[in-house]
Amino acid sequence: MNRSMIINLLGRVLQIEGLLMFLPCLVALCYQEHEGFYYLFVAAGTLFVGGMMSMVKPKSHVFYLKEGCIATALSWVLLSVAGCIPFILTGEIPNFEDALFETVSGFTTTGSSILSDVEALSYCSLAWRSFTHWIGGMGVLVFLLAVIPLSGGANFNLMKAESPGPSVGKLVPKVKSTAQLLYVIYFGITVLEFLLLLLGRMSVFDAMTTAFGTAGTGGFGIKNDSIGSYSPYIQWVVTVFMILFGVNFNAYYYILYRKVRKAFQLEEVRGYFLIIGASVAMITYDLFSHAIRLTDALRTAAFQVGSIITTTGFSTADFDTWSSSSKTILVMLMFCGACAGSTGGGIKVSRIILLIKTVLKEFNSFIHPKSIKKIKVDDKAVEHEVVRSTNVYIMTYIFLFSISVLLISLEGHDTTTNFTAVAATLNNIGPGLSMVGPTQNFGFLNAFSKIVLVFDMLAGRLELFPLLILFHPSIWKELFAQRKSERMNSNRYKEKK
Amino acid sequence: MFNFLKPTGNSGPGLKIIIVGCGKVGTTLIERLSKEGHDITVIDMNEATVKEVSGTYDVMGIVGNGANFSVQNEAGIESADLIIAVTESDELNLLCCTIAKRTGDCAAIARVRTPDYSTDVSYLRDQLGLAMVINPEMEAAAEASRILYVPAALDVNAFAHGQAELIRFELPEGTRLDGVEVYQIRKMLSTDILVCGVERGEDVFIPGGDFVLKGGDIISFVATRKQALRFLTDIGFQTDRVRNCMIVGGGKCAYYLSKMLLGMGIEVKIIEKSKTRCEELSILLPKAIIINGDGTDQELLEEEGITYTESFVPLTGIDEENILLTLYAKKVSNAKVITKINRINFRGVINSLNLGSVIYPRYITSEAIIAYVRAKKNSTNNNIETLYHMFDHRAEAIEFNVTDKCKFTGVPLKNLNLKKDLLICFIHRNGKIIIPNGDDVIMSGDTVMIVTKNEGFECIEDMLV
Repeated sequence: MNRSMIINLLGRVLQIEGLLMFLPCLVALCYQEHEGFYYLFVAAGTLFVGGMMSMVKPKSHVFYLKEGCIATALSWVLLSVAGCIPFILTGEIPNFEDALFETVSGFTTTGSSILSDVEALSYCSLAWRSFTHWIGGMGVLVFLLAVIPLSGGANFNLMKAESPGPSVGKLVPKVKSTAQLLYVIYFGITVLEFLLLLLGRMSVFDAMTTAFGTAGTGGFGIKNDSIGSYSPYIQWVVTVFMILFGVNFNAYYYILYRKVRKAFQLEEVRGYFLIIGASVAMITYDLFSHAIRLTDALRTAAFQVGSIITTTGFSTADFDTWSSSSKTILVMLMFCGACAGSTGGGIKVSRIILLIKTVLKEFNSFIHPKSIKKIKVDDKAVEHEVVRSTNVYIMTYIFLFSISVLLISLEGHDTTTNFTAVAATLNNIGPGLSMVGPTQNFGFLNAFSKIVLVFDMLAGRLELFPLLILFHPSIWKELFAQRKSERMNSNRYKEKK
Repeated sequence: MFNFLKPTGNSGPGLKIIIVGCGKVGTTLIERLSKEGHDITVIDMNEATVKEVSGTYDVMGIVGNGANFSVQNEAGIESADLIIAVTESDELNLLCCTIAKRTGDCAAIARVRTPDYSTDVSYLRDQLGLAMVINPEMEAAAEASRILYVPAALDVNAFAHGQAELIRFELPEGTRLDGVEVYQIRKMLSTDILVCGVERGEDVFIPGGDFVLKGGDIISFVATRKQALRFLTDIGFQTDRVRNCMIVGGGKCAYYLSKMLLGMGIEVKIIEKSKTRCEELSILLPKAIIINGDGTDQELLEEEGITYTESFVPLTGIDEENILLTLYAKKVSNAKVITKINRINFRGVINSLNLGSVIYPRYITSEAIIAYVRAKKNSTNNNIETLYHMFDHRAEAIEFNVTDKCKFTGVPLKNLNLKKDLLICFIHRNGKIIIPNGDDVIMSGDTVMIVTKNEGFECIEDMLV
């Protein structure tokens, strides 16, 4: 295990967070808020600690997937802990577990809040809350990779651990260029949305935070009713961009390089739009039959569907009051999630496609027991390894989900609340149903349940295994054994001398 | 505090290179070229290999047939600068390059190994518009034949189209040169040689004039072949070339080596297992003695005279066999032994076995390609002719072409502010080799060879501080 390299990387991640924390400081400067000093203080502290840690020189550059996963998981934990300090210091969220919940919810782009009155927060805290979405959306390690070149396998293993999707591919040969390209696309679309929102007479601050929330598919609103009080134009803009950020970024790469046809041939992207279209149609019909004007019904349905499938979690209507068929569709969309390689969470459309094909293959093997059939996606045979790991992923996902629901249920709320609270956090969505519905918040839960949900959010964002591997005993054994053998080796070396 | 912005590896814009085939040479190339910061895309038929390579190095992998148009397209042939085809099959390599040349505007390098094609290499290269045709077996054979010509040497490398040689040998204990400072050698022996590297134990030195030699050092020096032989004789070596050679294994490399040796008038005996291959060889090499038998059979070796042969070169396809045969030959005879080793891992172990001369075909080829790539990367001012790694990559010998653009033509060398651990070994002017001293100058049109411990040289200006 390459501990020195992991510590070095964690230090660099903290340094980046420290730098990014200057944004809320700027906001505080604009609005003359004294809370800004806390942010400045924490930013300086983070930079200092990060600087100290990155002084640790890596002894070797051996860096396998195992190290990548551990570095990724630890850096997300560290990021969240450091990020929640300002909330505590400003006194806006005095409890540690509440502040941690809010920050993790931000970085993992979940958007579940424990605050009952969001509008009471200072501007700089609101900005930081939304900004965490933007940072977490594409991933801070991907950002790190875009800025610094690492040697050999190190960078790809980090990227694999942080990027969502069953199989991670590179757009261009070098990881660094791939990461840069991803951030350029990400930044570009964010700016585009920001400008379009400004056109809709939104204030600069609102447009900025909303754009951050949409880009990371996060969903922290800065109003108590989320996006509901804005004009229909703005709601449509947000709808379109939510859906755009849920598209596999490979598609944008193809469009950038004028291979538009290839972009639309991606099976996952097609499936994604198909699911959105069908869901919107069904919910619109349902709302329309409950005597809502067709245009309003379409807008509300499209917004809610886009918000849930991309795992953003903004809302313009209290869908908790909708008919149960519409609610069921939304809950199903929660699990479905966005495309792999996007900023969204959930199981991912590509995994759903793979699973459906696996089931079809199984049918086929019952009818023709000796037939051989390879699963193909985008006209390419899928490696058995990917199919297998997808199946295992789903199983682990279901296990984790059930255990979390059980743990939350200990508190004694109704089943819908427990079920959707876990669904909303594990899939990084935000609001659930019933007591955690779009007009409610997570504040009423006890500390234990909050920690369980914090874990779920992190596990959901990192796609389970990078986080779960931290709890594997052999990792601990290895750390311990290595330290011991290192000591023994150095003793032996001394004796030799 | 902002040290996370500092790069930890090689960066800067690189070339877009497509490598077809992840065999031994392919992997070596991938490793070296990706370290030098190029954008590399790898194509191989084997899914597992591609996965492993793209997991280990920062490259993009594509599974497919490299000669397939759409596969090449997916690898981005249109914007590629260079395609290197090093698959097992010569035909596929040539086809890859031909198709690539038609689609994209890139240079192409193909590996061609079979004698069927390699005899017409220059014709192939010109007609297909290839930048380079490489033949590891032939290069390895050429290196072996050079060593057999100067058997006292551990390694012999040719520079300036064979006019100058870099010779590496071990200085025996109690020699005339023990305790001598390097600058005195030329006066003492009145031969024109230049010591450009000394290995002492674990350390490698690029010696200055006041460096004192010791018995047991491994010395590398540059000289013309004539001067080199004289120098070696003067310090008490037998410098006659070998008169006969026993080769185990009748593969391509053995064929090339035998052909070269027979051309120099050295008797060749080849031991080969396969009857059909023996028959082929006897047609191809009528002058050689071809023995049909197992070269790892101790009795056969003794019967064929391993104890009194003057040189012994095991060229089987299996490294372990080659190493064992070498150790055996060293034990029972005084023959000059050269070991060919295909694998490059466990190099440290192999070095500690004290095998004498070892040749690594895949290094020889990858070095030639890397020199080409470096030259291409900075083609305006760049002029690397050859590049050779010495002492396990701890030093490089580089040959530059000097053009009009060079800023210090005509300046005496002693007035140049050269980098540390750098030595100008020779100047090649109008077909003559000049071993320079401080008053010599570099002129436009020269080729200059330097030895240095610094890395990443791209043009001759990099010599200066």
